[in-house]
Amino acid sequence: MKPAPFDYVAPKTIEDAIAHLNRHGSDARFLAGGQSLMPMLALRLARPTLVIDLNRIETLSHIRMQGGELCIGAMTRQGAVLDSNLVAQHAPLLQRVLREVGHPPTRARGTIGGSLAHADPAAELPVAALALQARFVIRSSAGERIVAADDFFQGMFETAIQPGELLTEIRIPSAATAGSGFEEIALRKGDFAIVSAAAWLAIAKDGTCTSARVVLGSVGPTPVRCPATEAHLIGKPVNAVAISAAAEAIPETLIESDSLNASRAYRRRIAPVLTRRALTAALKDAGKAAP
Amino acid sequence: MTRTTLTINGRRAQFDTEPRQSLADAIRNELGLTGTHLGCEHGVCGACTILLDGEAVRSCLMLAVQAEGASITTIEGVSLPHAGLTELQTAFRARHALQCGFCTPGMVLALHALFTNNPVADEDAIREAISGNLCRCTGYQPIVEAALDVSRANQDRLSQKT
Amino acid sequence: MTIGARALRLEDERFLRGEGRYVADLKLPFAYEAVIVRSAHPHARMTFVSLEAAKSLDGVIDIVTAADLPAGLTAIPCRIPCHGDMAPFLQHVLARDVVRYVGDPIAVVIATSRAIAEDAAELIDITWEPLPPVPDSVAALNPDSQKLHPAGNIASQWTFDIGNVDAEIATAAAVVRDTFSIQRHSAMPLETRGLLAHYDRARHSLEVFGPTKVPHTNRALLATMLKMPEGSIRFIEPDVGGSFGARGEFYPEDFLIPWVALRIGKPIRWIEDRYEHFSAINHSREMRFEVVAAANAAGMITAFDVRLVSDLGAYIRTHGDVVPSHASASFPGPYRIRNYRVHAIAALSNKTPSGTLRAPGMFEANFARERAVDLLADKLNIDRAEFRRRNLIPPADLPWAVGTESVKRPTIFDSGDFPAVLERALSEFGWDKPLPKSEGPIKRGRGLAVLVEPSGLGPFEGARIEVDQHGNVQVFSGCSSQGQGHETSLAQVASAVLTIPIERITVRHGDTGLIPFGGGSYASRTAVMSGHAVYAAALTVKEKAIRTVAQKLEVAEHDLQLIDGRIELLGAKEMGMTLGSVARLLLPGNPELMPPPPVANIVDNDGLTSTSYIRAVPGGTSVFAVHLADVAVDEETGKIRVERYLVACDVGTAINPMIVEGQIVGGVVMGLGGTLLEELAYDQQGVLLTGTFADYLLPSVHDAPPITAIVIEKEKSPTNPLGIKGVGEVGPSGVAAAVGNAVAHALGAGARLSTLPLTPERILFARTPGAA
Repeated sequence: MKPAPFDYVAPKTIEDAIAHLNRHGSDARFLAGGQSLMPMLALRLARPTLVIDLNRIETLSHIRMQGGELCIGAMTRQGAVLDSNLVAQHAPLLQRVLREVGHPPTRARGTIGGSLAHADPAAELPVAALALQARFVIRSSAGERIVAADDFFQGMFETAIQPGELLTEIRIPSAATAGSGFEEIALRKGDFAIVSAAAWLAIAKDGTCTSARVVLGSVGPTPVRCPATEAHLIGKPVNAVAISAAAEAIPETLIESDSLNASRAYRRRIAPVLTRRALTAALKDAGKAAP
Repeated sequence: MTRTTLTINGRRAQFDTEPRQSLADAIRNELGLTGTHLGCEHGVCGACTILLDGEAVRSCLMLAVQAEGASITTIEGVSLPHAGLTELQTAFRARHALQCGFCTPGMVLALHALFTNNPVADEDAIREAISGNLCRCTGYQPIVEAALDVSRANQDRLSQKT
Repeated sequence: MTIGARALRLEDERFLRGEGRYVADLKLPFAYEAVIVRSAHPHARMTFVSLEAAKSLDGVIDIVTAADLPAGLTAIPCRIPCHGDMAPFLQHVLARDVVRYVGDPIAVVIATSRAIAEDAAELIDITWEPLPPVPDSVAALNPDSQKLHPAGNIASQWTFDIGNVDAEIATAAAVVRDTFSIQRHSAMPLETRGLLAHYDRARHSLEVFGPTKVPHTNRALLATMLKMPEGSIRFIEPDVGGSFGARGEFYPEDFLIPWVALRIGKPIRWIEDRYEHFSAINHSREMRFEVVAAANAAGMITAFDVRLVSDLGAYIRTHGDVVPSHASASFPGPYRIRNYRVHAIAALSNKTPSGTLRAPGMFEANFARERAVDLLADKLNIDRAEFRRRNLIPPADLPWAVGTESVKRPTIFDSGDFPAVLERALSEFGWDKPLPKSEGPIKRGRGLAVLVEPSGLGPFEGARIEVDQHGNVQVFSGCSSQGQGHETSLAQVASAVLTIPIERITVRHGDTGLIPFGGGSYASRTAVMSGHAVYAAALTVKEKAIRTVAQKLEVAEHDLQLIDGRIELLGAKEMGMTLGSVARLLLPGNPELMPPPPVANIVDNDGLTSTSYIRAVPGGTSVFAVHLADVAVDEETGKIRVERYLVACDVGTAINPMIVEGQIVGGVVMGLGGTLLEELAYDQQGVLLTGTFADYLLPSVHDAPPITAIVIEKEKSPTNPLGIKGVGEVGPSGVAAAVGNAVAHALGAGARLSTLPLTPERILFARTPGAA
């Protein structure tokens, strides 16, 4: 299991990285934390002729608040996000999710941007990004554009990132008073999910839900929002009964995945269960967050 | 071939490598430190765990060229050849926390990284720290017990100080 | 340190320092790297179109295919055929024309580096004509299916028919029927296989580093295949990262790598990678049991009627049909059953060939039997422990001959007190204590399994002991070690006799250059067999030393005793000699004891050394064990958590209780892997789907429950002087049975748990037949 040969560059700036990509075209691959790309290289499932290492670009690694948004550089390590007080304050869902992602040594290298750009259908971070309505900052030689979470995940291992582009930052609107919850079934802790469910609830002082986001992961090629479930909650008081009804409102057709480790029938059975539990956790969390 | 310079177990080392060589292979083949084991070469088993600038990482998931300028500790750097074992290594022996020894270097390094940050780690933290290190022999229980021994000893020392 | 001490292991320090030397850590100058090219097709006709592009790559030394093999080379023989002629189904070292599984070796690339060899392997031009696959045993048994071999798809089938099964079933108070399936999985040692072979042409000497498990057996086999004298080949076992039954058998690579070293005249190194390991190492466990179990109104089990189908993959390897043979022979377990019928079939399919895996056939049979026994107990409304209590073989009935045989040896349980161990286990675990309360969707259950695990098999074992002039002891054993701690436990045996601390005893094993014969390590035999051989050799050394001192001091032998490595005169401690002094006295040619002879050819003393070979009792010795598990099941998701686990067993004598407990605790977690997680999955075309540790799931630390090992040393085995029973396989043997029973208990009546692994999906759908 040795990779096929490739050339290697380690640019120090975003501009240089993009210039290398433009020169080399589709035979080049960005190397972020390497936790997905390195096994693919070893198995020769990925065969770039040039590997562009992003690890020397300091400007890709940061966590800061800017304009009411939590901005996380694409090369920020998952472990750093898990330990960040800013993230704990403004996007605790991200930390809740990261606890299920791999293990300390993989999180020490694995990056936020690497995982999101890889867009594994069973991965947890895309689910959180969608539930948090993150915005994706994408750079190319033509400049910068911002893609909304709803438009970012386009298919299995496919995102809105185009040839010649680099994901540089994720921006999460701060909603310190919202509550969130996350549940998954994986065969072992740290593995990709069989099904995951994230819930995000904004609850008004009178207990009415003003905004709800429910996202399922590992049920299809991309994480999916469940508008039917969300609609059940918005504008109404949220309680256990409402949550159960909302969870049961997931249309079966939303759940397509059928794989070695779990059938479609099983996923359809547990998706409402996990959704109910995630919503319950989100409601509790919102209660804690409320002033 | 790319010339790569790094610090390994406190010493500066240099070698030439193809970009495709993993850091694990370079540690074993270029630096002759075979205590870093390869159990899967795809980042799941944890046998190749090293400390990269103090943090536990999988050396099969890094290219050797990426380690330019880095400071690396392998199992050979944990206790000097003619010095005694570390408290953790001694606890492993006392608890029969190793059998075939293949996962052992990775386990020891993952736990050393944990105790550096959290000397009084509890059982949950210990389990999480080695959750990415597979052991096929021991059933993990004695490894967790060995780590708890160290944690308790650290706790005792801390409480004596205060 | 003597027998029974919790001695810390002598091998630990090198492993803890990263100074273990595994085969991949060994280097020889000017060595080349080999890569095995393997079939990606389950069943196909194959033609090499061109090797040119591959051969012309910089750094490529040679590429060999079946066409290059020595004329007349035989297939790899079966080491232990049980129920018929295996010859028509054996594997050749390289496939010629037809491949029969994904992973079937077809060529060897030799290059200056592993990476270049892999580059070259991709350039080999082959045409493939796919043939219809035989994906599983159901297809194998279908007469309309493709034939894998001219002799068909069934390697062997056999029947044992004891008592009158039909009559007992017809008149039973309760009868249960179910079909139990155990999935294909494998040992997955954390270290992959590897070999380093070096041929010294001038001296016609071949050294092979990396063999383990049965080095002497495999050397003899290689010598035959290479037509070389056995003495020209030396197998040297380095440190080994686990075997669990699979590693160290004679595989195609065990011929190919030494043979390529001979052919090229340079050292050749082959280090298996994990991806190929999945398709290359012996698979195991794939078995289906159709069980009918009957009991009378008094709660006595009256009959088992079993149809057993085992899927052994594409070829018969060294283990032959031994796994289903063991399962068929030992299915009745520790129960007093006099009516038992089994029809067993060893079927072949387009999958990786199979062999043994820790508790071979037993893990499988115990799951099927103990689930059926629970179903019977439930049907009769008898407590599951009480039901077993009534049916265990009583001590007075031991030794118990089941009436079956495996490996042409009768299945005999030699000794024990099964009911006593059961009672101890039940009370330690608190069988009658209430389970923790169920909370919301979390339901709790408790499971029990009882079993007998055979051990100490194999015809003989040998040991040589040498004492040097300084009183240091070397023990040469015919065993091998894959991590169990034999260097320590065998040192303890020698230490017990020679009264020398284990730190002064070095145990060397797995090297055909150091001892001419050896059985090796399998079937939980090393403590029993090698322990016995070391004990015998140590006793002989002791006798020799006493005889020598008696002669030297001119006293009677019975007036001397060996204490702390010194032979002393009873009642006059100052009169004595250390073992080192005795060794010096016995140095060959030393005139002190034997004056120079007037004529030549007088036999010398051979130093203070001894070599002992001991023979085995055919049925071996067996361990009775009880497994108990508490589980929590999320009935909304099927997610299971094993909350605590206990194994109790009577091992006769534990040389080192710490090592014994380690075997049990580690074995339980391995068994949990086979119960809950591990599966070598294939699609219906015969393509292996699990090729990485990301999809073949080993238990992690989060999956390991608190485990208690109760090691009882009461009923000594009559088969060996130390009374030892082998304990290496007791750990995994009953896990699927106990956990399966616990999950069924948690889910309540009507749950069907008969297919492994017990995934959340299977558990969730256990009460809704057909949904999964």
